[in-house]
Amino acid sequence: MSFFHKKRLFVILVGFIILVGLIGFSIRDREELSLVEEFLHDTVGWFQSIVHKPVDFTTSLITNIEGMKNVYDENQVLKSRLSQSKNLLYEVQELKQENQELRSVLGKTESITDYQPIQASVIARSPEASSHQVKLNKGKQNGVRTNMAVITGEGMIGKVQSASQFTSTVLLLSGFDRSNRISVNIAADNEEEVTGFIVGFDPESEFLLLELNAYEVELNGEELVVSSGMGGVFPGDLEIGTIEEVTPDKYGLTQIAYVKPAADLSNMDHVIVVNRLAAQPEEDTSEEEEE
Amino acid sequence: MQKFYLPLFLLALVVLEGVALDFIPNISVLDDLLVIPHWLLVFLVMVAVFYDQENTYFSIVNAILFGLLIDVVYTSVIGVYMFVYALTIYLIHGLSKLLHTNYFVVLLMTIIAVGIADIGIYFIYFFIGTMDIFWEEYMMTRLIPTILANILFFLICYPIVKRKLVKWSIVQFDRKK
Repeated sequence: MSFFHKKRLFVILVGFIILVGLIGFSIRDREELSLVEEFLHDTVGWFQSIVHKPVDFTTSLITNIEGMKNVYDENQVLKSRLSQSKNLLYEVQELKQENQELRSVLGKTESITDYQPIQASVIARSPEASSHQVKLNKGKQNGVRTNMAVITGEGMIGKVQSASQFTSTVLLLSGFDRSNRISVNIAADNEEEVTGFIVGFDPESEFLLLELNAYEVELNGEELVVSSGMGGVFPGDLEIGTIEEVTPDKYGLTQIAYVKPAADLSNMDHVIVVNRLAAQPEEDTSEEEEE
Repeated sequence: MQKFYLPLFLLALVVLEGVALDFIPNISVLDDLLVIPHWLLVFLVMVAVFYDQENTYFSIVNAILFGLLIDVVYTSVIGVYMFVYALTIYLIHGLSKLLHTNYFVVLLMTIIAVGIADIGIYFIYFFIGTMDIFWEEYMMTRLIPTILANILFFLICYPIVKRKLVKWSIVQFDRKK
């Protein structure tokens, strides 16, 4: 009997060693997935895209029925806004034209805000809440690469964590931490440009934490936060959210702003993967070497 | 053909876990609560009880394989689900030898299994640093809702699956003899 006990203990210990090894293997910063992982992602992803269709149909049908209740009220509000947005449209068009002319005068064709959109659908959400992942039905074959930004019509929702051939995994904003900061601009009223970094997510209030670069900035909330493109990974001018509250950090050296994400992170179906067209300073060399 | 039913069923559960969160109604009361579907584990508990003989370990082998699949597909850290699921099913496998199997015993085993597995996952993630909530908060927002939701899955699943498993078990082990 003692022999079996020893054997059992031995197996559990070996299992524990394998566990630590696997964690160590997967937790370091990997640019690419291994072939086996890509294969598993694609195979399961194929099943998921089949299963997702009927589920999506039923759930969206229910939300549509619920949405119909408010159609009349919404219609009234929208009508009143329509005239305003027409004016805005003309203004935007004028500005765009002017911008283009000025650019052509300068001879500058590439901009940090340019991107190529890749349309994708969400086929699954990770059941493990702490991993903050969703899966998309587009992969390397469609041009999706690691670290691209992912947006919906409302704003940014995350970045591509890993891409396999036909599917890809998105890390949502709620899973961001200091190792994947976003450089942002804040549209403040005064003329000074306010910049900062998104450094994490506060799970209790469900707000993003924004570290401001300057200390003497007066913000009164409600300002729009957009990506600046200066981080070298994401393009500029992607909407991230609005500022809710500004407090000094725990050492009193910088200011921390709480940013309410513009997009709904718990409920999305169709997203756009954003391929930044401007050169990416760090990755250029490594990619050329590989190809 | 009978041989492939069990793995296919398990694969289907892994795939379904990915859309499970779509079924949770969008009510503000549930907003702060985290519900983790451990459907694979609940099913494997039933496999351990109804399918496995005393000296066969199908449930544990499947726990390792499909736990690894969940790790690869749904999380960024490989090995956690694999280890925790295998260990939990091993305990249940041992436990099912001691206890007489009836509805309430299996229900109790499911609760124990989901509890042990989720706490194990919490501790490993906590030490790695992917999850940074503390014990009290974890218990209120994640452990209790998760156990309740998985009991619900068990109640739906049990009457459908039990007879099938017993049938497959008879086919599988009679042929070997």
